[in-house]
Amino acid sequence: MTARNLLLGLLAVLIAAPAVIGAYPLAVLILVLHYAYLGIAWNVMMGFAGLLSLGHALYVGLGAYVAAALYASFGLPALLGAIPAAIVATLAGLGIGALGFRFRVNGVYFALLTIAFAEFTRILFDHMGWTGGSSGFFLPVEHGQLNPIALRGPPVLFYYVALVMTAGAFVLARSLMRSRLGYAWLAIREDPDSAAASGVDVFRARMAAVAVSSALTSLGGVFYAFYYNNMYPEQIFSMARSIEIILAPIIGGLGTLFGPVLGSFVLTLLGEGTTGLLEHFGWAAPGAKQVIYGLALLVIVMVQPAGLWPWLAKRLRIGRDG
Amino acid sequence: MTYRLRSSRRALLQGAAAAGLAAGLPLGAARAQGPALKIGVILPRSGYLAQAGQSCQRGVDIAPQVLSDLGHRVEVVSVDFESNVDLARTQAEKLIADGANVLVGAFDSGGTSAIAQVCEQKAVPLVINVAAAPQITEQGFKYVFRNFPTSVMLVRNGLSLMKEMFKATNVTPKSGIFIHANDTFGQANRGAIDRLFPTLDMPFKLVDAIAYDPRAQDLSVEVTKCKASGADFVIVTTRAGDAIRLIREMVKQRYEPKGIVSPGSPGMYDQEFYDGLGGYSDYTITNLPWPNFNAPITKRLGEAFAKRFPQARFGVDAFNVGFTFEAMLVAADAAKRAGSRDSRAIAEALRSTDIADHVMTGGTISFDAKGQNNNIASATVQNLKKTPTVVLPREAAQAKPVFPMPGWRGRQA
Repeated sequence: MTARNLLLGLLAVLIAAPAVIGAYPLAVLILVLHYAYLGIAWNVMMGFAGLLSLGHALYVGLGAYVAAALYASFGLPALLGAIPAAIVATLAGLGIGALGFRFRVNGVYFALLTIAFAEFTRILFDHMGWTGGSSGFFLPVEHGQLNPIALRGPPVLFYYVALVMTAGAFVLARSLMRSRLGYAWLAIREDPDSAAASGVDVFRARMAAVAVSSALTSLGGVFYAFYYNNMYPEQIFSMARSIEIILAPIIGGLGTLFGPVLGSFVLTLLGEGTTGLLEHFGWAAPGAKQVIYGLALLVIVMVQPAGLWPWLAKRLRIGRDG
Repeated sequence: MTYRLRSSRRALLQGAAAAGLAAGLPLGAARAQGPALKIGVILPRSGYLAQAGQSCQRGVDIAPQVLSDLGHRVEVVSVDFESNVDLARTQAEKLIADGANVLVGAFDSGGTSAIAQVCEQKAVPLVINVAAAPQITEQGFKYVFRNFPTSVMLVRNGLSLMKEMFKATNVTPKSGIFIHANDTFGQANRGAIDRLFPTLDMPFKLVDAIAYDPRAQDLSVEVTKCKASGADFVIVTTRAGDAIRLIREMVKQRYEPKGIVSPGSPGMYDQEFYDGLGGYSDYTITNLPWPNFNAPITKRLGEAFAKRFPQARFGVDAFNVGFTFEAMLVAADAAKRAGSRDSRAIAEALRSTDIADHVMTGGTISFDAKGQNNNIASATVQNLKKTPTVVLPREAAQAKPVFPMPGWRGRQA
């Protein structure tokens, strides 16, 4: 089996899915695709360039707020609002990157810097009255509308938008991975000093990774804003969201293309499956799911520390990058 | 003819017996026939809102029996959204797919907003038990009904009750200070106080507002600031553990204001507060919607609670249990009036809700065009003998307010 065949098969199944599944599985699949997309975006930084960001919720929040505010204030459709959203998030990312890379804030210290900026922005939005402050920002409910450009419509519209975004991010990540820039990222990830000695402009390459990752992540934020129609700084910029974003690529396989997608499927279905099983057996005590979910993650990380995709790719005889 | 006469006499006797039997039965039991209404309940029973979610769940657990006694037959399906907005949405989809006619939830404004989107798309009514963000009923939803005050209503009622308390006790503080958690709820309260305080002609001056991180283990700096301000009255917006840490620090620093009053936040009427502070928990006040313990339906709810949860105290869970039960009562009442389990018909009936006999203080339960119940009143609930006790308004009072509160000396932790 080749990676291409696997991808096309999965894509065909996902395209056909809404015709055969109900509203609940569709809602779960939207979540799967949303987190797969965000995982791919984060993976560009960590998986490809070795830059650990624990504050990616910052870009989700910025994208969400910018696009939602432009829509609510000027009626700018989501698809157009995504452009300034991506620009704002990219500028924020570049600011953090410049600060970190110029002053040689590396490794866990860079991760702390990303957390600090996400927290700082959360507190800023908590106090910004024109975006609702801590009381949240809400988009008006529009009944019976179907406008893909403005991202107004039923869940099936959001499903296909999430699918297109994930597929697009996958293709982009694949082409980046095989580009000159991608090889520079890999070199920096393995050994920045050696990469620099080999003529790689480490600063520029890292800044490019941050720009691509933050822009992509902000588009996930635009999706979030129009799917949920409301956002609270405490939730959208939260550390918990940043952790949720990174779980899928870690479980699936850092630095791989299929990893974030596989990780998102496994994690979401594990969560929903555990809930279903506990309900079926009447063991739905509060917290029971989290215990089982946590244990399952522990087992996966212990048994397959490189992630599930490298293991699966080997079994399916697909190239590791897949 | 004889046969007919006999038959007629027998029928008459049977009818009389049946009528007598029916008269002997509780009215509700006779009425509680027909198809059951399927209510899907979504609460945060795990995650960071678990304590409140589980408290609300107790109301859900006793509701079917109490509603049955009132003539409503309901089937309840409860799910946990784990204090996670993403899950709130998928769980709502699941409940509706499983045939829930109406949804009730979700304690948290973020979760409730996510569920509301689904309910609107599926034309299934959502009756909110607890969620204070004003925008929820300002978004133009047609299937969302909130039997809970907005944060602005909470603060306005809370501040008004402070004035009533000063009047009732003939004691008015000179200056107050507002200390609040810096999370979503705390900031929303801050915004509401900033807006409302100058408009309500409050009889004391607000000298400062201090924000703190509710997760911080040390609040000594904040309490020192309060003490240094010279304020003799403290308004607080707390969450849970931070309320305990705040009072402990006040005791430690011997800061003894005339009163410590919350305009409607959780924390000071939780069991943990009493367990953690013992006698120091007494005399603190929360102004918030509270059950009217003089109402027959509240007594019935309290009895059911005591029977089902002998280890818990109804007085402590009353806020969450009361509002959650009321949300289910509202849904069941609408279904009964609609004479149908069809969600659209129930939504139509919800618009004309008019329930006079209910649990929480305030006027009849009814909804405006936006789906908001504007008749919910607040009560002044003071901790007396480690029990939340209604002290105002007078018609619902269980005891007289103690203000100014006694000093810390002589009290036991």
